[in-house]
Amino acid sequence: MMEQYYLKQKKILLVDDEKEILDMITDFLSRDGYTQIRTAGTVKDALRTAEEWGAELAVLDVMLPDGDGFSLFERMRGFTEIPVLFLTARGEDEDRIRGLGLGADDYMVKPFLPKELLLRIGIILRRYYKAEDPAVKLAGCRIDLARAEVVKNGEHLPLTAKEHEILSVLYRNAGRIVTIDQLCEAAWGENPFGYENSLMAHIRRIREKIEANPSKPVSLITVRGLGYKLVLEGRR
Amino acid sequence: MTSVVKLIRRFVGILVLSMFLLFIVNVVILLAVASTQTPGIGPWTTAQETEAGLQKTEAGYTLSDEMTKMLKDKDAWAVYIDNDTSKVLWHTENLPSEIPMQYTIADISSLTRGYLADYPTYTAGSENGLVVVGFPKDRYWKHISPSWDYDFIRNSPYIALAAIGINVAVVLLIYVTANTKLLRSVRPIADGIQALPTKTPLYVKEKGLLSDLAKDINRTADILQSQRRDLRKKEAARADWISGVSHDIRTPLSMVMGYAGQLEDAPELSEDDRRKAAIIRQQSVKMKNLVNDLNLASKLEYNMQPLRSEQVNMAAVARQCAADFMNADISGKYPLEWKAQENLPSCVVRGDKTLLGRALNNLLNNAQTHNPDGCHIAMGFQVEEDACCIAIEDDGVGIPEEKLEKLKNTPHYMMNDSGADEPRHGLGLLIVQQIIKVHHGEVRFSSGADGGLRVEIRLPLFSEKKRYA
Repeated sequence: MMEQYYLKQKKILLVDDEKEILDMITDFLSRDGYTQIRTAGTVKDALRTAEEWGAELAVLDVMLPDGDGFSLFERMRGFTEIPVLFLTARGEDEDRIRGLGLGADDYMVKPFLPKELLLRIGIILRRYYKAEDPAVKLAGCRIDLARAEVVKNGEHLPLTAKEHEILSVLYRNAGRIVTIDQLCEAAWGENPFGYENSLMAHIRRIREKIEANPSKPVSLITVRGLGYKLVLEGRR
Repeated sequence: MTSVVKLIRRFVGILVLSMFLLFIVNVVILLAVASTQTPGIGPWTTAQETEAGLQKTEAGYTLSDEMTKMLKDKDAWAVYIDNDTSKVLWHTENLPSEIPMQYTIADISSLTRGYLADYPTYTAGSENGLVVVGFPKDRYWKHISPSWDYDFIRNSPYIALAAIGINVAVVLLIYVTANTKLLRSVRPIADGIQALPTKTPLYVKEKGLLSDLAKDINRTADILQSQRRDLRKKEAARADWISGVSHDIRTPLSMVMGYAGQLEDAPELSEDDRRKAAIIRQQSVKMKNLVNDLNLASKLEYNMQPLRSEQVNMAAVARQCAADFMNADISGKYPLEWKAQENLPSCVVRGDKTLLGRALNNLLNNAQTHNPDGCHIAMGFQVEEDACCIAIEDDGVGIPEEKLEKLKNTPHYMMNDSGADEPRHGLGLLIVQQIIKVHHGEVRFSSGADGGLRVEIRLPLFSEKKRYA
């Protein structure tokens, strides 16, 4: 795919004090098609490489010989806004929260599965460097998230802001159940208690726009009591 | 504190009892002594007998030999005074010279009540006169004017009672005053002993009567404190050790998992080799989970897991766990049924969202691990007045009764003695128990309706009222 090819050209910086880990991840990434990979073993190295080379994504270890990954991250933020994924042996929840709280894009705990790391790197890259929002193809229509509209039977139906938020979350998790709470939080923010009825109303309106038969939905499916699932065309 | 009150009560009881007994003993002794003193030949009796032994003959009066002898033995003298003349008609031979032979009525009255020339005298009246017996001066002591107010005598029982009562009160007062000092030094010691089992550091002032005891208590408290500290240190060391091991194992395990995963997908390898690589990868994932569980269990065990306490909508947590589980179940071998009312109200509990989610995930994963051929899982969510109930039930192999019992009675990971060959039902479920315990909830394990395992969790709901109560 064109898009995939474009993303595989991104400059990825790996920072870890264990050479074996660096070698292994480099191996995974190059086998997966990534061509621009550099490594650093210290905070000093990492900062220099990130700045001079112009890395476009960084995978950081938390424990480094001359500092910790969190402060490295904060110093990097001084000159670049590139996405960062923490990869660390510290599995404590407070570390996880701290990493994400600082604004990191993801957090993985060692040991990890290479596939999962590649997947997460792919997701972060797509999110950051998307060429354009892709058109979502559903059974009865096509959704253009970038323009916030639904194209059904040649007709253009605009999406409201809330409907757009809800559909975006569902699309990012296409094929997976997204809970009522996640959807409410996406649409109404922190502490989204008590918006369930509003959510149901919005879902109903979205269905009217995207489903061929809104009373028998095939694309936006209810998982009773739990949440909703967006089914892309040709998948189940 | 109650023990001090008891002590005081006991002491006062003993005191009152001993006073009462002493009083009784005194009365008995008094009666006994008095009864041995009075009977026999008292001075009045001697006078009467002398009168009876005095005979009037033609030659005058004579005393019987018996009485003469008796008076002689007592070194007493006697006279007989005539009624008409007030003169002495008869007297014993040993009559002291200072005794007059003629008496006035006043003399008679005086000697009857008291003394005659310092001799204690006793009288006995006869038909025509009066017999007077005199004893040696140092023989008897007479009370000359024994007269009391009539009311005093009439009220004497009450007066006696009042006197006894006042005495008792005075004795008690003296006792209490004397003992207050003692009690004052006993109280801090009693308080100190009562405070020993609590964890607060303690110091009893080493002053007063019982300073030695106070010293001993302080020493004991110090020993207890340092033992607690040592135990705490040991626990911390153990938890740190486990945490260190679980940290250090992550990097090597990453390599094992990473390369095994890569080999699993290597097209140049044979089917058989790739299967082996898959097994290595799967087992290292298990090791990873085990290490994580072990670390968390040991921290919860020693209360070293810092609990982030916030308001958590338990319904959202449960829904998220159910959705995650369903999303991860690509094979469809573990259909999950969500059983809850439509439009669940938000159920706010106070606690750590991550840990609570971990507990529910553990239960769902547990069902999966123990039923490799798949099973149907039902997850129920109920809201009660002050608690929310989450029940997770599968229709899989379940747990035999005796292991169920064991599970209920294993409060401690280190005490789990199931052999190495038995699949450990322990750690995952133990963590569930620990997590729910730190959230003041309850976990109940039982056999499900379809023979599987049923786990019920009850968590108290957070309420504003309780917070301000």
